[in-house]
Amino acid sequence: MSEKNLGSVMVIGGGIAGLTAAWDLSRFGIEVHLVEKTSFLGGHAIQFCCKATDECQQCGACTVEKMLNNVIDEPKIKTHLRTEIEKVHHNGRFTVTVNVGPKYIDQAKCTSCGICLEKCPVEGALQRGYSKNNIPLYAIYEDKCLFVKDKSCTVCQDTCPEGAIVLNTTGSSDELEVDAVILAAGFQPFDAQEKPGYGYGEFNNVITGLDLERLIRENGLGISTPDGKIPQKVAFIQCVGSRDERLGNLWCSQVCCPYALRMSEAIKHKNPDTEIAVFYMDVQNTGNNFPTFYEKVKSDLRLIRIIPSDIYSTEDNKLCLQYMGEDDGLPVKEEFDLVVLSVGIMPGSDNKTLSELLGINLDEDGFFLCLDEINKSLTSKDGIFIAGTSQGPKSITASMAHAGQAACEAMKYLGVNE
Amino acid sequence: MIENKNANMEEIEICTDVLVIGGGFAGTKAASEIAELGYKVLLIEKGPGIGNPKELPGTLLGLSKGEDKALKGLVDKVTSSDHIEVYTQTDLISTTGVPGDFSVRVSKGPDIIEHKVGAIVVATEFSLEALHEKYELNLAANVLTQSQMEEILASEKDRKKILETGPKDVAFLVGFCQEGNPLVMERVMRSVLAISETEGCNAYVCAGDIKVASDSLERMYRDGREKGVVYFKPNEIPKITQDGEVLGIVFDDPIMRRDIKLAPDLLVVEEAISADQMNQKVAELLRIDLGPWGFLQNDNVHLFPVHSNREGIFVVGSSREVQGLPWAWVDVENVALEVKDLLGDGKKTVPKDKAVVDRGKCVICLTCYRCCPHGAIYWDTKAIISPVACQGCGICASECPNNAIQIGGFNDVQIVEEIKRHIESGNGDLRLIVFCCENSGFEAWQMAKAFNMQLPAGLSVIKVPCAGKIDIHYIMTSFVKGADGVLVLACHNGNCKSEKGNTRAELRAGEAQRLLEETGFEKDRLDFVTIASNMGSEFSSVVVNMEERIKELGLNPLRNRS
Repeated sequence: MSEKNLGSVMVIGGGIAGLTAAWDLSRFGIEVHLVEKTSFLGGHAIQFCCKATDECQQCGACTVEKMLNNVIDEPKIKTHLRTEIEKVHHNGRFTVTVNVGPKYIDQAKCTSCGICLEKCPVEGALQRGYSKNNIPLYAIYEDKCLFVKDKSCTVCQDTCPEGAIVLNTTGSSDELEVDAVILAAGFQPFDAQEKPGYGYGEFNNVITGLDLERLIRENGLGISTPDGKIPQKVAFIQCVGSRDERLGNLWCSQVCCPYALRMSEAIKHKNPDTEIAVFYMDVQNTGNNFPTFYEKVKSDLRLIRIIPSDIYSTEDNKLCLQYMGEDDGLPVKEEFDLVVLSVGIMPGSDNKTLSELLGINLDEDGFFLCLDEINKSLTSKDGIFIAGTSQGPKSITASMAHAGQAACEAMKYLGVNE
Repeated sequence: MIENKNANMEEIEICTDVLVIGGGFAGTKAASEIAELGYKVLLIEKGPGIGNPKELPGTLLGLSKGEDKALKGLVDKVTSSDHIEVYTQTDLISTTGVPGDFSVRVSKGPDIIEHKVGAIVVATEFSLEALHEKYELNLAANVLTQSQMEEILASEKDRKKILETGPKDVAFLVGFCQEGNPLVMERVMRSVLAISETEGCNAYVCAGDIKVASDSLERMYRDGREKGVVYFKPNEIPKITQDGEVLGIVFDDPIMRRDIKLAPDLLVVEEAISADQMNQKVAELLRIDLGPWGFLQNDNVHLFPVHSNREGIFVVGSSREVQGLPWAWVDVENVALEVKDLLGDGKKTVPKDKAVVDRGKCVICLTCYRCCPHGAIYWDTKAIISPVACQGCGICASECPNNAIQIGGFNDVQIVEEIKRHIESGNGDLRLIVFCCENSGFEAWQMAKAFNMQLPAGLSVIKVPCAGKIDIHYIMTSFVKGADGVLVLACHNGNCKSEKGNTRAELRAGEAQRLLEETGFEKDRLDFVTIASNMGSEFSSVVVNMEERIKELGLNPLRNRS
C-alpha cells in the first residue's frame, strides 16, 4: 500500500501539550519528531497525582499517563530525548540542528530492574522517571554524577546486569528536516525561594504544590510530614508567584485553586481528622461542576481570604502563620504541621532562546505571543504554531485541547486535507 | 499482531455528511472547518440567522471591531459554500441510528427534511439571565443589566446622553447571586474600563470572587484599578436600596473594617451565563447525557474536549461549558480532527468480533439497548451492535440475561480459562485474583511492578476492558476453583470511560458478597476498590492489605477438593 507523503512536523516539548499534538498528528499519518530536552517524556503533568476521593475530581492527571502510553506505542512519532534546538533554518521547510546529550542508558537493553538506582551512591545522580511509560525508566543526571565530575565512580555501569549503562558516552548533533513546527515548550513552576518570607528550602515542612503532587504520586495519599507524622493541620497558601504586582507577575495561573482544593479534598477524604486551611485572594473555578464542588469545599475546609506573607518555625518544628483575623482584624498566630505553597505557572526557562531561534515574539509576560486574539495557536510566522502553557497558564485538559487546535492548524498548513 | 487482527476485520461504508446543530459562532465555524475537510454539512439554527443568532453583544463574545468583521466574513463563507446547506428557523425533531449511519429529521416551518449523516456536532449557545430579581431590584433608568450597559457603551449617542451629561458614579454588582466565571468577570472589567475612561465618570465594583482565571484578566483588573476603578470585596451580599432616583449600597468592607455606603447614579447588575435551555431537549433527541448544570457533557476527563458519551456525536463551545470565542475556536478545531478521524474517506475498517450477538440466544429483551452507555445498540429481529459505535466495554455482555453477547478478546470461555490457569500455576501458597479494568487497575499494577513496589507472590491479575465486564460468574468461579481472595479494581466514580461500568461492578461485587455469605464463605475474601492508572503505590497497598486479610482468614477451604 503506497501512502501519500503528508509531510512531517517537529513538536518541541514532550509535556502534555507536546504529547497530545504529536499523537493528534500521527493519527492522520503525519510523521512527528518529538523533541524533549530532559530525559523523560511527560513534562510536569506526568508528575501529578490522582486527586480522587471516592469520586474522580477531573484533574486530568490520569489522561497524561494515557497520552504518554499512546505516544510510545506510535511508530509515526520519533522521540528525541535529551535534545535541544541549536539552530533553525527556514526556507520553505525547516532545517533544525539539534544537540543530543549523551545517552548513558541503552533503552533497548534496560529492563527497568532498578538495580542502578539502588546502588548509586549519590542522591539525585541517577533518577527514575515518574511513569512506567518512561523509556528508559532511569536517567543519569550530570550535575550530580561522580563519573561525569571526575570519573571516580562506575557503580551503576558495573552492577547493571544487562550491561545497559555505558558512562563513557558523548553527545551528538543532528539535523532534522520538517515542514512545520509546533512549539509546546511548557512552563516552569514559580521558584518559591523568590518569596523568602515563606522559608521554602529552609523549613522542611514548607513544600510546594508540585512537591506535594510528586509525594502523593510516589507514596499515595497517606501524606506525612518530613518527620514521619500524619499532619494534623495543613495550610495551603494560594497565589505564590501569581497575581503578584511586586514581582510583576500580572496573571492568574488558573490551575492553583483547582489543584489546591482538589488535593485538600483528597487528603481530607483519606484522613478526615486532618484540618486544612486555604489562604486565598479569590477562588477560581474548577469546572462545570464548580458550584456544587465549592459547597463541599466550604464545608470541609477553612477558606481564609488573606495571603500571609511570612512563615516562622516554632521550637517544636511546627510552622507559625501570622495573619489578620477575619472577625476582629487583630493579628492571629496559627500553627500548622505542613504548609503547601501553591506555586504558579511561569514562562518557560527557554522561552527567550526559543523565541530568538524561531523568530517569534514573546508577550509582555514572557509567554509566546499569539498572532490572533481569537485563534490562540497561530504565531507571527507561517508554519510555527503554539500549544499548551507556552502560550499562557493552562490546566492539563486545556493544554490538551489547545494542542489539538495546534495540530489541526499544522495539518491545514501542510495541506493534508486537500 | 496487526496481521492476526486483519483476519477479523471488515471494511464497511459509512455516510460522511455531518449535521451541525446551532448556528452561533461555534456551530458556524464548525460547519466551515468540517466543510473544508471535504465533507458535506447540514447546519441547522433555530433563529433567523447564523453567526450570532442570539445577537449577543460583541463585548460578551470578546470581539474587537476587526474581529466582528471576521465573523461576518465567516458567515458569508458558510452561506456561499457549496458544501454547506444552511437551514435557519429549523428544529431537530428526531435522530435514529448509529455513527456513520444516523437518520436525522429536521423541521423548517411545515416542511420536514430527512437526511442521513455520519456524525453530529452539537453547538448550542449559552443563555444569559439577568439577576436583578435575585438582588431584589427592579430594572429602571438607573438600574441596568450588564447587557444594557454594554449597549450604552457601544452606542456613541447613548454613551453621550447617559454617561457624559454630568458626573456619574456607576456601581457594578457581580458574584453574589451566582458563582460566576471569567467570562462574566471579563464583561464587567471591559465595561468599567470604558467608564473610567469617560470624563467625569467613576466606576465601583462590588464583587464576590474576582474570577481572573483567563488570559489577560488579571492585567485588565490592574489596569482598571490604575484608572481609578474601585473594587470592593465584601464577604456578604451588600444591602441595596432602590427608591426612585436614589440608590444606596451598604456593606461591611473587610479591608477598611467599617461600613461603606455608596450612592451611585447608575447600578449595573450582573448576568449569569449558563447552559442553553435547549440542551435538555437536544440531549433527549440525541440520547446523550446531560451533564452538571445543564451542559451537554458529563464531568468526565475522558470525554474532554469534545466527546459526548456517544461515539459520532460531539459537543463544542458553550454547549459543553461556558466559553468565549477563543476556546470555542479550540473546540471547533478539535472536533474537526475527531470528525476526520471517525469518517475518514467513508470506508471504515472495523473488527468483526468487537461485540457479537448470538442471534440464536437473543430474545430482544433490550437489556443491552438500555444498559449500553455508548448508545451503540439497536435492533431488528435481534439486537445489533454497531461496530463503529461500540467501545468494547462489555457491559452489555455482562448484563445480558441470556448470555447472548460475547466480547472479542474477552469472551467468557477465555476469561474462565485464564482464572483456572492462574489458580493452578500461581507462585506461592496464596492465590489472590485481581480483576482489573484495563484503564485503571491494570495500569496501576504495571506501574507497581515497574517501580518494584511490594506485591504478594500469589497475585494474579486478570485484565478486562471495563470493570463493567466483571461478571458475578467470574468472581464465583474464582472461589470455586480455589482462589483465596478476589479483588475487583475499577475506575473512580466519574472516571469510567463507559460512564457507569464501575458502579455496575460495585453492585455485582456486593451481590457476590451476599452469595458468598449464603454459601458459608467469608465475604471479606472479596473486595471492591476504585483506583486510577497512576496509583501504583495504592495498588501495592491494596493487594498487600488483602493478602494480610486472607492470611487471617486462612486458605480457601475448597482448595483441597478441587
